[in-house]
Amino acid sequence: KTIGLQISAGFQELSLSDRGGHRRDFHDLGVHTRQAIEHVKESKTGSSGVQIKLLTNYIRLKSRPQWALYQYHVSYNPEMEARRLRSALLLQHEDLLGITHAFDGSILFLPRRLGNKVTEVLSRTRHGEDVKITITLTNELPPTSPTCLQFYNIIFRRLLKMLNLQQIGRNFYNPGDPVSIPSHRLMVWPGFTSSILHYEESIMLCVDVSHKVLRSETVLDFMYSLYHQVEEQKFRDTCAKELIGLVVLTKYNNKTYRIDDIDWDGNPQCTFRRADGSEISFVDYYKRQYNEEISDLNQPVLISQSKRKRGINMPGPVILIPELCFLTGLTDKMRNDFNMMKDLATHTRLPPEQRQHEVKRLINYIQKDDNVQKELRNWGLSFDSDLVSFSGRIVQGEKILQAGSVFDYNPQLADWSKETRGAPLICAKPLDNWLLIYTRRNYDVANTLVQNLFKVTPSMGIRMNRATMIEVDDRTESYLRALQQSITADTNIAVCVLSSTRKDKYDAIKKYLCTDCPIPSQCLVARTLSKPQTSVAIATKIALQMNCKMGGELWGVEIPLKQVMVVGIDCYHDNLSGKQSVAGFVASLNQTMTRWFSRSVVQNRGQELVDGLKACLQTSLREWFKWNNYLPSRIIVYRDGVGDGQLNTLVNYEVPQFLDCLNSVGTDYNPKLTVIVVKKRMSSRFFAVSGGGLKNPPPGTVVDVEVTRPEWYDFFLISQTVRNGCVSPTHYNVIYDSSKLKPDHLQRLTYKLCHMYYNWSGVIRVPAPCQYAHKLAFLVGQSIHREPDLLLSDKLYYL
Amino acid sequence: MDENFHEEQFREITTFTPPLYKQRYQFVKDLVGKYKPKKVADLGCADCTLLWMLKFCRCIEVLAGLDVCESVMKENMYRLSPLPGDYLQPTERSLTVTLHHGSVAHKDPCMLGFDLVTCIELIEHLEESELKKFPEVVFGFMAPSIVVISTPNSGFNPLLPGVTLFRHPDHKFEWNRGQFQSWALEAASRYNYSVEFTGLGHPPTGMENVGFCTQIGVFVRKYPQASGSAHPEKPTEAVYKTVFKAVYPSLKDEKYLQNAVVSEVIFTAQIIKQSLLDHLLAEHEEYNDDPTERKSKFQLSMNFLSEDLRKLVVEKNIEPCVNENVVYIPLKTIFSFPKVNQLCGTFERLCKLITGKVTLSSDGSAVIFNNEHENEEN
Repeated sequence: KTIGLQISAGFQELSLSDRGGHRRDFHDLGVHTRQAIEHVKESKTGSSGVQIKLLTNYIRLKSRPQWALYQYHVSYNPEMEARRLRSALLLQHEDLLGITHAFDGSILFLPRRLGNKVTEVLSRTRHGEDVKITITLTNELPPTSPTCLQFYNIIFRRLLKMLNLQQIGRNFYNPGDPVSIPSHRLMVWPGFTSSILHYEESIMLCVDVSHKVLRSETVLDFMYSLYHQVEEQKFRDTCAKELIGLVVLTKYNNKTYRIDDIDWDGNPQCTFRRADGSEISFVDYYKRQYNEEISDLNQPVLISQSKRKRGINMPGPVILIPELCFLTGLTDKMRNDFNMMKDLATHTRLPPEQRQHEVKRLINYIQKDDNVQKELRNWGLSFDSDLVSFSGRIVQGEKILQAGSVFDYNPQLADWSKETRGAPLICAKPLDNWLLIYTRRNYDVANTLVQNLFKVTPSMGIRMNRATMIEVDDRTESYLRALQQSITADTNIAVCVLSSTRKDKYDAIKKYLCTDCPIPSQCLVARTLSKPQTSVAIATKIALQMNCKMGGELWGVEIPLKQVMVVGIDCYHDNLSGKQSVAGFVASLNQTMTRWFSRSVVQNRGQELVDGLKACLQTSLREWFKWNNYLPSRIIVYRDGVGDGQLNTLVNYEVPQFLDCLNSVGTDYNPKLTVIVVKKRMSSRFFAVSGGGLKNPPPGTVVDVEVTRPEWYDFFLISQTVRNGCVSPTHYNVIYDSSKLKPDHLQRLTYKLCHMYYNWSGVIRVPAPCQYAHKLAFLVGQSIHREPDLLLSDKLYYL
Repeated sequence: MDENFHEEQFREITTFTPPLYKQRYQFVKDLVGKYKPKKVADLGCADCTLLWMLKFCRCIEVLAGLDVCESVMKENMYRLSPLPGDYLQPTERSLTVTLHHGSVAHKDPCMLGFDLVTCIELIEHLEESELKKFPEVVFGFMAPSIVVISTPNSGFNPLLPGVTLFRHPDHKFEWNRGQFQSWALEAASRYNYSVEFTGLGHPPTGMENVGFCTQIGVFVRKYPQASGSAHPEKPTEAVYKTVFKAVYPSLKDEKYLQNAVVSEVIFTAQIIKQSLLDHLLAEHEEYNDDPTERKSKFQLSMNFLSEDLRKLVVEKNIEPCVNENVVYIPLKTIFSFPKVNQLCGTFERLCKLITGKVTLSSDGSAVIFNNEHENEEN
């Protein structure tokens, strides 16, 4: 082991002990991909479009001239184990070290250099044991060194604590001023997420407003109220469904855990082994340690497979008592409660002006608090008082091409549903032979739908016959039997009108029609069809969706690049059964990027997704060849579904596998490959300065300066609009590129692809193939659980 | 300040399980359990471990710490902040935790009125001049009902390997049993306290005459609570610097009580409303092509409320009702729910607390909901 490795490991310890520190490299600090991409070494910025003045949520961190951080290694002789003891022994020499220091038990940081490179001091333990402490200078760190960056983040956490903010998970919240939503026992704490990183020009702090949804009920409360709501035999399953994957907060300390399982055989009277080796029951432990009385001795226990490394004496999962755990976050049920979500949004979706105001408020606190300022001064650091601002570019809007007509739309609205209403489609698939299955109760609804479809389809160019109408009982088996009996080789599509949003029926139908009997299908909930005032509009939407599912094409945009295959990848992780991950893989099949080849990979826990992705790429090339009679000369992969800290794996494992796959096609085949990591959840925010106020930047805004990372070929693109709150920019990180495409062209292409998602007549926040891949992975992960039949793979059957 | 023993480094005789420092804390906790003091101060609180343990004791409403070293308190003080859970379900008890930077040789009015003052492994760190003032400050000025003082027993030192002079370089002295007891008895008699001696860490068999490793004196004040005027020369001037202060959320605070009551009232009203509507739906639904579904719906609505509550909702004359899309849930009904009842105590208090926070009927007797069909487009 080298010294360097030991140092970084020790440092992680420091951040961990500071709670909420980074076990993983959440910011993908060590990944330097730009240096390998020749044509962007000099510049990675685009050029087209009009300038727009932007304000951000970034603040510069400044350090004194010639600032350095001194890193010391501290060793003890005899060796001392306990961190607290090591710290106490060292701090007996505060006169030598000074009051400003950060120590994790082995690594010491000081803002100044000690007199000697190696300093030896003596400390004595309470038991009179003399301990020789050797403090050795190991590093003099410049402000931009990665270790320094981690250090800044730790210091900033200290500052936030000084401001009396509460740490939950990785973020800090203000408990003093909560918003409560009594009808769901919710409490929303306003707070901040922050990180300090080395950006393009300087080291900056990025602060965004964050809200923590907490619930003033315990897991046990929740279980009880659930018990009264569901049938006995379904209780455990429902419980697992509602609870697994949720994050809980323990009553007695400030830790969060994810529920991975419920142990129905366990109870609070079970015992566990403590760090000192003794056995104690949970009841006694909590009583003794925290004076917490556990009143229900028959409750099950929760299991959390903690990712955090725990002490040597405490291996294995963490066991939690439901009564002592508060729920956090929203359940699916709450998410489906429209009124509540609307209510919540009024508190959490802050418009640009307000959001910036909140960020500035934190900065003001930091500037005004004496203790905070003192701590910063002692380290020789300070924050700018102004938010960083610079110019972005709004790239040119796109024209929508649809069967010979060209439509302009208002780029501010990012929506062309009005403009293209009733216009002929690029490729309309006929409804010659189709099924419509409904229950007796929904006969009228089904009938109205057919009439409305007859009204709207002719102008689109869809040829339509009357449907084969089949009435069934409202039972899953009846639907399946009807499908079995009526589907023939000529059936274009099966449409099922469902009386409720019950998932099991939907799942069964989808499973049957995606695997056993692969034909396109469309499920509709009767209630959505029954509103007379919107029924024509809804029929229009359904007609478009059905057309896509049958392999039709709706619109296009101009794609100047030739022979290029665009790929989108996204993942779905099933946290319920905890075992399956599904990747959706979608590749374009034609020049206009209006047809797509779609496959999915279902992986069990522990398996690598990439093997499946490689196979997908292989088949998509074969399919491309069938369609075009040649192979694509460029392949551009948009890779979504990459978690924080996973970039390294992608660069070192997934990309080489892609290259490998391309190489294996043939000796004379040498396509150019571009791999772009797409991230939607970023804390970066941009505000357009307009008049005296702030607005969301318009769609098409590209940012590739200041807040990007120098070691990456990356940019931000805002392609969508939002009705409330702030638009969140999507981050694109080109981790591999042999295409030599200009950054400007890649940015433009990305924006164009955001226009191509057929389930929405407007621009979306990611390139269409990513959204298709997301849809596909979701359907497979939620309903089908295995790969759909490949007969469907040239259609958007999962829309 | 306290260190773990390292078993493998010492002869068997000198290891204590649990470690002595933990035993000392447990000793204080047990004392708190016995005497149920409301206000507790820890002098020489250092890394605040004892205070952290004590904050879980339900009887304590005021906790204070004092230390001469500011940085060690600052390093650890956030352990004493309220937890999210304290905000989510505020309890009845109030708790204020304060940390002061200062010396036990100085008097500060913030230390007055305590029930228990602990000085765990403190006195041996005092300079002679400070030790001299210590009894007057603690027993004379602070004058709590109980004082606990622990200190090393130097008589035990020969059994600790490696200890030549003192157990810790910062110790200014270490006393044997006789020295400690005579000092303690003198202080007790001067300030009218009684004192009992005990200790932690038994000596090995055959060496019983050495006494405990840690010796402890528990002082109990013999006269009743001194009123403020009893002490003529009490300084009004504060000399300690407050380093940290945390006020825990409590239902005694009107703001938290109101929040809790409003939340509980709305939540309860929602439950009643839902069960009422489900009930109505189940009764009036005559057109349903799935009989099993209907049954389960009905059961659901009835199961939702426990037996006696169901009676309340359906049978009492103060019945909740639905009137032209407005649902009325009488406050009386809501008040009969145990949680609401417990929080408010009286019906009048309930009404007062929710005024302006919950939508009520015109006569103020019922919570109302507009039961318009929810707009469920997505």
